[in-house]
Amino acid sequence: MRLRITILCMILVAALHAATYTPESLPIPYLQDKSQYVSNPDGILSQEAVDSLNLWLGEMEKAHGVQTVLAVVEHIEGGDTYEFCMALGRKYGIGSKEQNTGLIILLSTGDRAYYILTGRGLEGTLPDAICKRIENRQMLPALREGDWDEAMLATVRAITRYVDGDTSLVGTSDFDDEDDTIALMFFVAFMALGIGLIFFAIWLEQRRKSYCPSCHQYKMKKISSYTTKNKRLGIRTHHDTYRCSHCYFTKEQHWDEDLHSGTGAAAAGGALGGSFFGGGGRSFGGSFGGSFGGGSFGGGGAGGRF
Amino acid sequence: MKTLKSIFVAVMTAMCFTSCTYNKLVEQEEVVNQKWADVQTQYQRRADLIPNLVNTVKGYAAHESETLEAVVAARTKATQITIDPANATPEQIAAFQEAQGEVSQALGRLLAITEAYPDLKANEQFSELQAQLEGTENRIAEARRQYNEAVQTYNVNVRKFPNNIWAMIFSFEKKTPFAAEAGAEKAPEVQF
Repeated sequence: MRLRITILCMILVAALHAATYTPESLPIPYLQDKSQYVSNPDGILSQEAVDSLNLWLGEMEKAHGVQTVLAVVEHIEGGDTYEFCMALGRKYGIGSKEQNTGLIILLSTGDRAYYILTGRGLEGTLPDAICKRIENRQMLPALREGDWDEAMLATVRAITRYVDGDTSLVGTSDFDDEDDTIALMFFVAFMALGIGLIFFAIWLEQRRKSYCPSCHQYKMKKISSYTTKNKRLGIRTHHDTYRCSHCYFTKEQHWDEDLHSGTGAAAAGGALGGSFFGGGGRSFGGSFGGSFGGGSFGGGGAGGRF
Repeated sequence: MKTLKSIFVAVMTAMCFTSCTYNKLVEQEEVVNQKWADVQTQYQRRADLIPNLVNTVKGYAAHESETLEAVVAARTKATQITIDPANATPEQIAAFQEAQGEVSQALGRLLAITEAYPDLKANEQFSELQAQLEGTENRIAEARRQYNEAVQTYNVNVRKFPNNIWAMIFSFEKKTPFAAEAGAEKAPEVQF
């Protein structure tokens, strides 16, 4: 019984603790999946709202290169939304380095506070006054009614309008999913080509061995083989006997295997194969998770309380 | 011949180290200058906002003229002080900081009295102006933070051995960071 109470208390403490976030502890789903811009760890937004927001923010990044993190949480540590957003921006470097078009939208329902933080390159598109206007006109009415979904949807809709109106913003070229598909196709094609070449070489070698010098047919087959070893020279000698199934011409072949260089070659081959697969694996894995470009924030944007 | 060669190598090495240190110091000094320019831009931005803000408040609270005039006066005083970061003395930086601090305080008082005017607070233009002002205060704080960071990096490098010898020869001097002010530089808190 006591154990059960302890466990219950621990779960309760964990739940209470989880509801207060620091810039370090806030989960960023974008890093695992680049179509996920919304961080909704407490489940405050509905799944439909999150899906819509992800879709719109994805289009905004594709068309204008504006990289967004939208976080809706119950509590943030300290309760200062501006400081939280700045710390988040500094930590991840949201937005591309060239355009500096990072955008952080934060709503803390427990602290009853919100903030829209704009990267340096967005300060012209979304000046502080415009951020404030969006908050006053779109976000606040919904927040006062406790409609978190509508507050965020209306805000992002309004931001999209302003961003769409700015033709100076350039979309991300490497954002297209098609690029990943093409890269994957090239990767597979090269792999197939490499494997095909190896098989072709093996086949050629087999064919050369099966050539009969007497009747000029490829009918020679290995019928017996044995090896002898010379420890002093470090050589293993193979004695192979071939017979043609067409004219019964028999041929004996001897070849030496250097015991030292043989193992060396095998090791080198292994290393080459390892690095090839390692390199391929890394470039392939990187295409799923998103990465932030290292944008900087100068403190633009606006926030408030409700 | 061998000693000649080793002397030559020693001289070349020393020159290499000197040029490395010198170039590094030049780079870092330029970063400090750049950050200082950012700080001044943000203060200028605030100064540009003030007339608009004062005029908006005047329309609703004309009889608070004393507070309004204090803001204008502090702004005029602060805009007269411009500093060349290349040869700014600690006293100059302190004077600049004090003048800007007065503007902050005057603005803080102005925003405090606006709490008493519900019509003004409901005015969208005022709300947006206030947001711009807040954003500018935030930018100033950020620019100052970055300036201080750059100064710290530079100062550490200037004082380190053996850099301090080259710094002395080429007269790179320690730079003055902003001192933290008690409350004066904090962005005005706005409650809705």
